[in-house]
Amino acid sequence: MQKIATRLEPWLYSAPVLILIVAIMLVPLALGVSYAFRDIRLLNPFSGAFVGFKHFRELAGDGAFRGALVNTLWWTFSSVILQFLFGLILALLLNRPFKGRALAQALCFLPWAVPSFLSGLDWAWMFNPVVGPIPHWLYALGILSEPSNILSDPETAMWGPIVANVWWGIPFFAITMLAALQAIPKDLYEAAEIDGAGPIERFRSITVPFLAPTMAISILLRTVWIANFADLIIVMTNGGPADRTQIVASYIFTQAFRRLDFGYASAIALVLLVLLLAYSMLIVVLRQTMLTRH
Amino acid sequence: MASITIQSITKTFGTVPVLNDIDLSIADGEFVVLVGPSGCGKSTLLRMIAGLEDITAGEIRIDDRRINEVAPKDRDIAMVFQSYALYPHMTVADNMSYSLKLRKTAREKITDAIGAAAGKLGLDPLLERRPKALSGGQRQRVAMGRAIVRHPKAFLFDEPLSNLDARLREQMRAEIKRLHKSIGATSVYVTHDQIEAMTLADRIVAMHGGIIQQVGNPLDLYDRPANLFVAGFIGSPAMNFVEGHCRAGAIETDDGSKIAVPDGVHLKDGQAVTVGVRPEHVRIVAGPEAGSYAARVDLVEPTGFGTIVHVRLLGQDLKIYTLERGAAEVGQPLHIALDGARLHIFDRETTNRIG
Ligand SMILES: Nc1ncnc2c1ncn2[C@@H]1O[C@H](COP(=O)(O)OP(=O)(O)O)[C@@H](O)[C@H]1O
Ligand SMILES: [Mg+2]
Repeated sequence: MQKIATRLEPWLYSAPVLILIVAIMLVPLALGVSYAFRDIRLLNPFSGAFVGFKHFRELAGDGAFRGALVNTLWWTFSSVILQFLFGLILALLLNRPFKGRALAQALCFLPWAVPSFLSGLDWAWMFNPVVGPIPHWLYALGILSEPSNILSDPETAMWGPIVANVWWGIPFFAITMLAALQAIPKDLYEAAEIDGAGPIERFRSITVPFLAPTMAISILLRTVWIANFADLIIVMTNGGPADRTQIVASYIFTQAFRRLDFGYASAIALVLLVLLLAYSMLIVVLRQTMLTRH
Repeated sequence: MASITIQSITKTFGTVPVLNDIDLSIADGEFVVLVGPSGCGKSTLLRMIAGLEDITAGEIRIDDRRINEVAPKDRDIAMVFQSYALYPHMTVADNMSYSLKLRKTAREKITDAIGAAAGKLGLDPLLERRPKALSGGQRQRVAMGRAIVRHPKAFLFDEPLSNLDARLREQMRAEIKRLHKSIGATSVYVTHDQIEAMTLADRIVAMHGGIIQQVGNPLDLYDRPANLFVAGFIGSPAMNFVEGHCRAGAIETDDGSKIAVPDGVHLKDGQAVTVGVRPEHVRIVAGPEAGSYAARVDLVEPTGFGTIVHVRLLGQDLKIYTLERGAAEVGQPLHIALDGARLHIFDRETTNRIG
């Protein structure tokens, strides 16, 4: 009796935390996963039965889903790369002292505070030739043959949400990169200057190695997040025209809330989850091998 | 190797003046130490020689070449930073060879230079390590190694030993001195530690408030400090100061005691002076004698080699440094005498030395 009590003691101490973790994280996840194997349609009161892999077989033959997968890659990587590049440039600019830097920093981080739906609407209007200036500018620059709405052209529609997403996400990278930049000791740059390193060489041999871990982790997090991020697309194009801006996350949304087929939507979500997990694992393994090689 | 000439250098940060009309000539091969309390502008002056700070006014020359507008990399100097500033992502060998690679030195030459520097500094077993895997003393050596591989015209040191513990500092101090003897390169060394200054320097430049207070060889500064600041800054335990006025050919202190004016010192009657006497120039005498004072022991600090005895005298705390153990106990009355030939007399108005 005594023995059992001492055995149990550590579990009793950690029980509240374990219960919380299970309740908050695992239960909803398990429920969501279980939907993927059931027939759940809100408009059909007799649905709810277990259907096994039916949804997944359906998915395998769903052309719209495959298109959405390709669009997701396109959407995610161009958004992340552009956000990262502009964020890094902004951070480098804000890292050097100049008059009014505090104000400039505050202004640059403003987009982050704008709700995503609002910024989606905002950009949709800006791309609209009736009320927005952008089509006219693009026309004036010779990029468009007439001031039309790029959101309604299947060839260019994806660039609309990508531009909005880049604008909206630059501050995230700027903030993280700026914090990492400011942690680099200044005298390293001075030592390198005396050693004969020019600005580009200093960037390559000091800034980049110092920023690399932050870059890697923020790009990883951001990629997963953007792949899941459908707000801007739903507000700006709703997946159209002709599904050309439909990404997996917005396709889930469409299935769940337009067709009210929660079972099928859950199955898609599960596939997305597995893909993103695989991606994350790949990055973690890559990072580990890189670390051990050093 | 080279000489460095600093001419009427002034530096202001915004509107804040930091250095004021500095003139200094450093001879080829000389080891000059800039010493002074924190914030006196020594690092700023060193960084101006390195090219890391703009020169507000004046001129710096290395061997007759004006370098005000020359980029740091073209001044042919090497600098050792207080934080060492080693590149954390490079091995020790890469840290040392970085400048040579950037200067497109031939590979064999780089290997030779690294080998020679590593041998001099005992770094051979550490060449493939990264700075993170080194102790403070080892990092310090790497920083020195990085400086010497290039055979620069001059070495600049900014408090290179301040981050080391006392024992290691002593060891590295001797090593830097030995290194200078063997390489013989012109060196400018910044420190706030007067012992480092005394032990290392061919010539000390004592600075305070952005102004050079005195330039001279270490013993000169010790024996004949030019003003109250230098007198108080150089020497440990610090010099005792007693304030008084010249009255009838003697110095009368504020509590009414008299100190004889040393030979060859001429004071005006009524002149306000400060008398300085180093603790080792105060003797404990057996009994009352001509010019001795009665005092009471306040505090005794044994340092091992000698003993610092604090007494209340002439209205203040006076330190005596004696090599005799057990010369005094707290509360004990005793008689002390000042070594008349080794008094330092300063004008209290100008703070300058009179004699
Ligand atoms: N970049 C700077 N901007 C403004 N003031 C500075 C700067 N660098 C140094 N100072 C000021 O100049 C004075 C001298 O600094 P420094 O040369 O570093 O002193 P030290 O090395 O003798 O301790 C200090 O009062 C310091 O606050
Ligand atoms: Mg300093």
